[in-house]
Amino acid sequence: MILQLLRRLGVLIASVAVSTVVVFGFMQVLPGNPARVALGVNASDAAVARMTEQYGLDRPLPVQYFEWIVGMLRLDPGIEYISKAPIGPQIGDRLLVTLWLVAAAMVLAVLIAVPVGTWMAMRHRHIDGVVLSGLSQVGVAVPAFLAGIVLISVFAVRLGWLPSGGWVVPASDPVGFVQRLILPSISLALVQGSVLARYVRSAVLDELHQDYLRTAQAKGLRPVQAVFRHTVRNAAVPVVTVLGLQLAGLLVGAVVIERVFVIPGLGSLLLDSVGQRELLTVQTVVMVLVVAVLVINFIVDALYVVIDPRLRVGGRA
Amino acid sequence: MATRPFSALGCAMAGAIVLSACSAGSSTNDDPSGSDSDSTQEVTIGLFAEPASLDFTTTDGAAIPQALLYNVYETLLKVDSATGDVVPALASSYEVSEDRLTYTFQLVQDATFSNGAEFTAEDAVFSIDRVKSDDWTVSLKSAMDVVESAEATGEHELTVTLSQPDNSWLYAMTTGVGAMFDTEGVGDLATDPIGTGPYVFANWDRGTSITLERNEDYWGDAPFFGVVEFAYFEDPNAVNSAMLTGDIDVVGTVQAPESLAEFETDEFQIIEGTTNGEVVLSFNSDKAPFSDVRVRQAARYAIDHPTLLDTCWAGRGELIGSMVPPTDPWYEDRTGDYPFDLDKAKELLADSGNEGVAVRLRLPNLPYAVACGTVVESMLEDAGFEVTVDSLEFPATWLEEVFTAKDFDMSIVSHVEPRDMQAVFGDPDYYTTYGIPEVQALFDEANTGTEEEQTAKMKEAAALISKDAAADFLFLLPNLIVADPDITGLPENAVSTSFDLSALARE
Amino acid sequence: MMRLVMARLNPSLIVGGGLVLLVVLLALVSFVWTPHPPMKVLATQAYQRPNAEFWLGTDRFRRDVFTQIVLGSRTALFVGFVSVGVAALVGVPLGIFAAMSPTWLGHLVMRGNDIVLAFPALLLAIMFAALYGGSTQIAMVAIGIATVPSFARITRSGALGVLSTDFVMAARAAGRGPFAIATRHVLPNVVGLIIVQASVSFAIAILAEAALAYLGLGTPTGQPSWGRMLFEAQTTYRSAAYLVLIPGGAIALAVLGFNLLGDGLRDALDPKLARR
Repeated sequence: MILQLLRRLGVLIASVAVSTVVVFGFMQVLPGNPARVALGVNASDAAVARMTEQYGLDRPLPVQYFEWIVGMLRLDPGIEYISKAPIGPQIGDRLLVTLWLVAAAMVLAVLIAVPVGTWMAMRHRHIDGVVLSGLSQVGVAVPAFLAGIVLISVFAVRLGWLPSGGWVVPASDPVGFVQRLILPSISLALVQGSVLARYVRSAVLDELHQDYLRTAQAKGLRPVQAVFRHTVRNAAVPVVTVLGLQLAGLLVGAVVIERVFVIPGLGSLLLDSVGQRELLTVQTVVMVLVVAVLVINFIVDALYVVIDPRLRVGGRA
Repeated sequence: MATRPFSALGCAMAGAIVLSACSAGSSTNDDPSGSDSDSTQEVTIGLFAEPASLDFTTTDGAAIPQALLYNVYETLLKVDSATGDVVPALASSYEVSEDRLTYTFQLVQDATFSNGAEFTAEDAVFSIDRVKSDDWTVSLKSAMDVVESAEATGEHELTVTLSQPDNSWLYAMTTGVGAMFDTEGVGDLATDPIGTGPYVFANWDRGTSITLERNEDYWGDAPFFGVVEFAYFEDPNAVNSAMLTGDIDVVGTVQAPESLAEFETDEFQIIEGTTNGEVVLSFNSDKAPFSDVRVRQAARYAIDHPTLLDTCWAGRGELIGSMVPPTDPWYEDRTGDYPFDLDKAKELLADSGNEGVAVRLRLPNLPYAVACGTVVESMLEDAGFEVTVDSLEFPATWLEEVFTAKDFDMSIVSHVEPRDMQAVFGDPDYYTTYGIPEVQALFDEANTGTEEEQTAKMKEAAALISKDAAADFLFLLPNLIVADPDITGLPENAVSTSFDLSALARE
Repeated sequence: MMRLVMARLNPSLIVGGGLVLLVVLLALVSFVWTPHPPMKVLATQAYQRPNAEFWLGTDRFRRDVFTQIVLGSRTALFVGFVSVGVAALVGVPLGIFAAMSPTWLGHLVMRGNDIVLAFPALLLAIMFAALYGGSTQIAMVAIGIATVPSFARITRSGALGVLSTDFVMAARAAGRGPFAIATRHVLPNVVGLIIVQASVSFAIAILAEAALAYLGLGTPTGQPSWGRMLFEAQTTYRSAAYLVLIPGGAIALAVLGFNLLGDGLRDALDPKLARR
């Protein structure tokens, strides 16, 4: 098992390396000289040349590439061209915000999906199972930002129970922090929860038809006991995969919710930096996102190996 | 000849929402800590398009002066937002010589910078010289080209000599180029602005807000609010929600006038004034079909301006016929030059052999441009044009493709700098592709003549630009503000790029 | 295969198929007739509620809403077809290739696949929009590229199953080349999987386009699109809710249709997975 894990780790590192080249290459293709965009409309060619030189934008590409890589490894990618603010802390802060949002959404989603999905599976031949199934299909089909706009309209504007958006650091205002987390995470959780619930239903249904379940019942276990003891472990495999994919997708996908609720997350930073041609920031943020996704996939793969003994290959388990 | 740059309205709107515990809904909640003294009076103003940096000497965009000009940085003279007049600021008085080449300013004696240094004529000389040096890179700096020398002729007396008489220089000194910096205070302009104004820069929460605090050592009248937060939004819906829930107190610039109906209650006040933002439908006359004046005229006749304004900007704003807002001395109502006449438009187009001609309308992705572009497309198609619309990322891609490469037929953008007719239409290399010799001559005469001559010549220039269909002028952007009903001193007309806080108060 | 499907008709298939058919019909009809001239600013009132003249009302630019919905179905289908088409055209051969290659090559291809998977559609769309400006084409290409990995994965997994059957062993023994095996044996047997994946990806593509439109990166003004209608209607949501609910509903119904269709096809085509 250790060997397998090590091999996957190697693959992870190689994938990250390849991604850096892809991202860097892409940034070079973007039109719009960053120096000219920063300096504005009628800036003299001399001024543009000066800034280009100042930021080393005219040095050979491999040099710029290596400097960027080294900077990221040292957790100090440099400062932005225009605002002169250090990039590292910005990305750190924004990443933290996005992580809070995504974590809250995923926790809610799982809390909704597991019981609902299991119920849907166990009652799939009854009317309530069918209705729930239909509802979950609708939940999947509704765009998250639509849900967000409606929630704000009802709970913030009309009822005044919660703020309409914004963000505070948990340390400085814990109550305000929680208040501002509720509506956006619900918006995300409604959709993600529906998707997850359908996978849970599907996975549990698969297991419900397996022979070992009949054997367990024959041995005298009641249906519910049988389900929990045997089904959960096996059903967990595909569900964990989907969770991983969702988590990865949400890191960027939450940008739409960030816009609706005015939350300073990573997705917004990306959008804004692209518009301002802060290439260094864009490159670094994209790399952070890609690395995060690759790491999540790695963890999911590793969890597979741990959860499901059937997947362990060779050697001693 | 000074070419004035433009800064598009999109950058001019910047707002951030900071929902810190104490200021949330300060007007609607009971604020237990705020009732004892003025120093805890706070206000949150929602704006759009956060500035990219705090240094307007190297970074373009109207968002920076919007927050900092007149509030943190001061100029020798400023524009009064209530009357539109040029009034004294750091210069208590000034004199102009007979030949109009020498200006002598008497400076206030007790102004200090936020780093403690005194404001003297040396600082003024330094600031003016700095504009002309390489340290300033924004195109606004060309307004200073006409200055030959600046000298400190006393500790609080400044003498400036121009190389030729120029009527626009004094007005230019009320904008960003006239900002006064401390000789020791320019080390870190992008993140640490140091000025003499009624507010000092306190904090920049990137992506969220900029916070200013009252300058306790201010030389003039202390402002009412102790803390001002500019909260920045990307999304007009979010601003509206924040206003409705009381998370912010003022929407500094409304970007979605169609949503104003929600605020027409007793709980809010809506202010509608004028700006300097002419929304220009530009034609690329360097190539066909707009090189033919008849095609340009056809386009102007095809547009039903009142319907356009009603449809795309909720009827808010003023119709102008040329590049001059009503607040300028040489304003004339030129909307009669090209009244809506669809038949005439079709006729002109047919005469020039361009029926069904394909043209590209390339828009920046700013709310007013996209909204009005939709209507313009529909109207031009009725007249026989084949219009394809695309929307370009602003500023980067629009600057590259339309502005620099001139790869377009028509575009729509708002020019918000005050008195920018010469900058926009006086240079044939500018993206508006006009700047014919006749109009350049008119501008030269206006700049060097007397005040009466200036007014007369500028009127002529405006008439020429309009009759020649150099561009179409869709409308003048309104200054739209939504605020709590008890807030006073809000700038009704946006006569400068600054969101002037000095008169802001709460009853 | 059609016989298999007919034999296993189930509610998902029927409802899903019906919804999809509705969308397709709307799109086809839009080529010959629309209630009002397409995308025209009419000199009548804005923000009208549904009435006799304008069946679903008018929007802020005084354009007929129903016409836009009908035309928008074209864009939705177009986006779906192109993105899924791109994804399938690239992903399916890639998956088969990976399955039929020697192990190390197969793994290499799948690792590359994973790297592409790490770039979600939204991220790609943002990056491309910065290059070329926001437009329907950009959205489609970005979504298409981001969907390739799903097709590659599912095809490879199905192909691996087929490759270990007796048929294929026999074919190999008989000396058939890899290309023949791929087209004659593998492809027909994974078609079912691909169709199901296509249906699901179609739904995702429509949702993705709506999200991109909301961010301002999708279809530009003047061209009909449900996502664009949402974008234009959001600021007046509280006073004109129908302008958000109608296109939102259209999107939800189309997505629902394709999802149900995918589910129904999956149930119908694979007896092991039949649930009813």
